[in-house]
Formats: sequence, structure tokens, C-alpha cells
Amino acid sequence: MLAKMAWRNLWRHKRRSLLTLLSIAFGGFLAILFTALQDRSFADFIDTAARLGSGHVTIQHPEYLETPTLNRTVQLTGQIRNLPERDRLVLHVTERITGQAIVATANDSFGVVFIAYDPARETEGTLTFGEGLIEGEMFKTANDRGIILGTKLAQNLGAGLGNKVVYTMTDRNGEIVSGMARLTGVIETGAPSLDQGLCLVPISALREVLNYGPNEATQIGIFLSDSRRSSLVASNLNRELGPDSTALTWDEVQPDLSAFIAMKVGGARFMEILIAILVAAGIFNTLFVSVMERVREFGIMVAIGYSAGQLFRLVMWESLWLALTGLAACGALTIWPYYYLSQHGIDFSQLVGGQDMEIAGVGFSPVVRVGIFPEHLIVIVLAIVAATLAAGLYPAWKAGKVEPVESISLV
Amino acid sequence: MNAPNGPVVELKEITKIYSQGEIDVHALNGLDLTIRRGEFVALCGPSGSGKTTALNLIGALDKPTSGEVWLEGERLSTLSRQQLSHLRRDRIGFVFQAFNLIPVLTAYENAESVLALQGCPATERRDRVMSLLTEVGLKGMEDRRPHELSGGQQQRVAIVRAIASEPAVVLADEPTANVDSETADKLIEIMAQLNQDRGITFIFSTHDTRVMERARRLIRLVDGRISSDSSTAAT
Ligand SMILES: Nc1ncnc2c1ncn2[C@@H]1O[C@H](COP(=O)(O)OP(=O)(O)O)[C@@H](O)[C@H]1O
Ligand SMILES: [Mg+2]
Repeated sequence: MLAKMAWRNLWRHKRRSLLTLLSIAFGGFLAILFTALQDRSFADFIDTAARLGSGHVTIQHPEYLETPTLNRTVQLTGQIRNLPERDRLVLHVTERITGQAIVATANDSFGVVFIAYDPARETEGTLTFGEGLIEGEMFKTANDRGIILGTKLAQNLGAGLGNKVVYTMTDRNGEIVSGMARLTGVIETGAPSLDQGLCLVPISALREVLNYGPNEATQIGIFLSDSRRSSLVASNLNRELGPDSTALTWDEVQPDLSAFIAMKVGGARFMEILIAILVAAGIFNTLFVSVMERVREFGIMVAIGYSAGQLFRLVMWESLWLALTGLAACGALTIWPYYYLSQHGIDFSQLVGGQDMEIAGVGFSPVVRVGIFPEHLIVIVLAIVAATLAAGLYPAWKAGKVEPVESISLV
Repeated sequence: MNAPNGPVVELKEITKIYSQGEIDVHALNGLDLTIRRGEFVALCGPSGSGKTTALNLIGALDKPTSGEVWLEGERLSTLSRQQLSHLRRDRIGFVFQAFNLIPVLTAYENAESVLALQGCPATERRDRVMSLLTEVGLKGMEDRRPHELSGGQQQRVAIVRAIASEPAVVLADEPTANVDSETADKLIEIMAQLNQDRGITFIFSTHDTRVMERARRLIRLVDGRISSDSSTAAT
């Protein structure tokens, strides 16, 4: 009965209730979209970082993080190679050799970062450079003989497809070694540092130059279906690995990026708290006003035998209805924009001047999409209900305190 | 105590002083009064004479400054807040001057609300309330909201709500003050009928001489004291 009365009370002042519902719905809408934006870019950042670094979890030499030299290598053992079969969180295992080199043509030379990889082990989900290919082709096998350069770098070197490029680096013994390849592809990522300073080579060719074994690499990348499980997978691996290799999570490998993401997530929390406070203030105002204008009615209810607790519960029911109806409205308001933004996203490339964003040396797509983590959605829903109920407490207590004599004489 | 003519309400040397800043208002000055089961009592007197104050004290809505109120042999001053709440729910029926009803409930829901609070089963509620609504001439209006009823009809619903749980006494503070005289006649007729047929004790306050004439006991208050107390022979 209290629930029914509360529901009807909600609709006594339609305009006021609708406004409050709208504020709950809109607050929830903002909170969900903000969080979804955050979660999606969080997941995307990490996936991008994982691609450029080396996986959500990277196995490398314990000292490679400090000093990434080519003498600090690890072996891709059969056990790790088979990880996708053993652990359903693991999608791919890649092997890469990365480091610094100087590339030169007859015209010029530049310092670059190189990535040597096995095309058979990589996919579009692990290495995205194929998307940016503007000339030539990507490698097909580990034994290909070519070299692929960033577009700006190729320009600076004055290198066209088929031209000879020499790369020089320091090997594991501190000796200068070099290899030669013909330019087989040019890529444009949109991230200036990559376009100016990235060079890709097939892993077997580089192993020959560096005198590496057939399973030797600087980094073994492990790609997961859910980046949030990275530390779990890393700690499991560390139990298996010997002293010459260690498993690190993406954020241990790239602390700059992880600090940036932590900062962004902190910003979203602040927004959410602000939204919750604004919504709660609106609800409080509505309930408080509606209790104060019903003092006489409550007085009569107390006189005929309603207890203070029943009046308290009546108002709490009203706030619960407000919360639930507000959530329903929020769902109705949010579902389409959310669906659209999750599928198509908004393209901000105009805003950033046609260039891709680059954060901590990592390029990001200017198309902003949303995708909320389910547990965050639950937190938002519970926060709205909690904020509404909290806002109802004082008005409900006030209702329970009504003294019949004073209030009934207010005819 | 349950004798047919036993006292239902007893006021003993009641005073009620309202402090308004510096000034003390003596609303009641040593009021002694006994009301017996089945009486049909009107409280009259000029405005400010203490009628409302007296009814509020009997109804356990307020506490006297001194003196004791007894209801069916129970001393109200000894009861806790919650016991008083239950006492109002179970043993007293209230009809106020106006706007008695809960606006979001239908006539029927208002009428049954006290029974529902008592936990009376729905079917029994339905039987009792529908027959009372019929008795006061509201059959067919049970689904209307208060704003769809006239002032007199609202008061009739309030009367049904007050008597449905068969309280020891029904207190009505100027129940006819906000309706026209014809409606007032009808309301008082209904109350008199319920008093006669069901033996329900009524105490109501009024200004209206035509209403006073229908009372079987007329108590006149002046300055918070009884100035006259007269009974007419039962009809
Ligand atoms: N809450 C109150 N505070 C101060 N004075 C009051 C209050 N209620 C009633 N009074 C005073 O007490 C006296 C009796 O009032 P009341 O019982 O309402 O009289 P009646 O109902 O006969 O008109 C009046 O002088 C009135 O002003
Ligand atoms: Mg009065």
C-alpha cells in the first residue's frame, strides 16, 4: 500500500517529477557515456600500447626494461608457443626483436626504431601497420628479404620502392653489424614519431644479421582477449619462467602510458561524483519541497494511526520510485546514442587538424567510440539508486517527525 | 469498564497553556468532563474557547499542561509515543474540518485505510467499508479521488473511515464548518443515525446552532471552562 501511495504521490506534480526524472536520466546518461568513453579508450589505449610495445604481457630479459640492448634476449620455448591452447585468455603469442638502428641510403641516414617480426605470428590485432600501407606490400613470411619504412622517413632518405637501404646496429657483443635490404613497403600511421622513425624488417633476416638462434627474440608478446587480466596472466607466467626471462604487464613495459591512463580515469571518477552530487541535490530538492507542502496531510495520517516509520517508508518509497523510474528513463535516453557511439563513434580528426593523436609516443585513432565495462555500469546504476535514497533520507525523516496538532491546524 | 454506559472519556482537572513568547495563553482552565459510551455530544462555545484543544487532548494528539486524560480506563500520560499512535489507530476515529482525505487514494481506499493499518483482512475490509459507504449514500463513488467529490461527500468518506474500525469514540472538530447548511444537516443526520444504530460515541465541536440542536448532550465552553452541560432526553 505504501508503495502504491508513493507511486501515485510521485505523479501529483507531474512537471516537477518529470523534471527530476529527466535530471536523473540525463545525469545517468552523462555518467554512462563518460565512463563508456573512458573504458573504451582505456581498453583501446592498452590494446594499442600492447601492439606497439609487445603484447598485454611481454616476456623479456629481466634487464631489458632498464637497458634495451640486443644482448638481452629470451627464447620462445614450445611451452610458451602453445600458450593459446593452454589458456583461453591468450589469443596470440608473437616474437619480435626491437631496438635502435641507423638506416641509410646513398642520400642520407637517420636514427630509427626497428621492429623485426614474424608475419605468420602477427595478426591485425597484434600489429596494425598493415592498415597504413601506402606503397608496396607487407612481409609475407619471416624469411622475406625486404624492409618497410615510415613514409616521412622514406621521403627523408629519398628512398623509393626497390631502392637499397642499409641498416646498422650494435649486436650482442657491442660490434657494429649491418644488413642490406630493398625497400618493399611504405607505411603512414598518422603518428609523426612513427612516420619519421619506424623501420620494419622480417625476423629471420635480422636473426642472421645479429647472429641469433632460431627462437631468439628480445620480446615475446602475449595478446589477451581482456587486457584487464594482464597481471593475472603475467604472474602465472612468472611462476613457470626461469631466471633469464620475466613476464611484465603492458603498463610495466610502458609506465608513461599507464600514468596517462590513470590520470584520465581519475578525471572520469571526478565527473561521476560531480554528476551524482548534482542529481542527488535535484532529488533532495524535489522530495524536500514535496514533504514540506504535505505537512498537513502527514499530520492527518499520523492522527489516524500511521506511524512515524510508515511515513518515513512512504517517502523512501517515493525516492526509490524516483530512482527506478529515472533509471528506466535513463536507459531509454542512453540506449540509442550508446549504440551509435559504440558502433560508429565520432570522428574528431577535424578537431585535431587531420592528424592522429599521439600520446606518450603512441598514435591513437581520432575516432572516439564507447564501450563500458559491465562492472562500471553496475556501479553507476547502484550509485544512482544510492544517491536517490540518500537524498530521500532527510525528507523522509522530516515526514516521520510531523506533529499532528500543529500541522492539522494549518487549514 | 465495559459496562454499556461506562465512561469512555474522562478529563480530570485539565489545563492547557500555550506559551507564545512572553504571553501564556490559557486554552483550558481546569476542565472536568466524563463522556459515556453511546453518547452523542456537541461541544460549543465561541471561537477560542478551547473546543479544538479539548478534542486534541482526548484524541491523544497533544498533551495537557496538567491534569489527566483517560480513555477507556487508560491514562494517556503513561503511554509511549508508539502506544499513543496505536491507541489513535485502534480506538479513536477522527473527522477534521476539511481536507481530511489522502488525495492520492480513492474514496474506498481512504475509507478502508484505518482498517488496513490495523491489518484487517482485505475481504473483511471490503464488506465493512462497502456497507458503510452504501449507508452514507456513497455507493458508486468508491473509485473517485477526493478532488472528484464534493466537500460533503469527502466528509462522509472521512466519517466512514473514522467509524469503520469501530473505535471507542469518534472525534469530529467542526465537521460541518466547510459545507453548506443542507449538507451539514445531512452529515449530522448520518452521524446521529450511526450513533443510534451502532451505539458509536461521537464528540463533535460546532458553531452551528442547527447542528447543536441535534446533539443529545450539549457542552458549552467559555474561556477553557465548562459554562453549561445539558442533556436532552433520548429520543
Ligand atoms: N498551537 C497554539 N499555540 C498558541 N495558542 C494556541 C494554539 N492553539 C490554540 N491556541 C489558543 O488557545 C485558545 C483555544 O483555542 P482552540 O482550542 O483552538 O479554540 P476553539 O477551537 O474553541 O476555537 C485560543 O486562544 C487559541 O488562540
Ligand atoms: Mg477550533
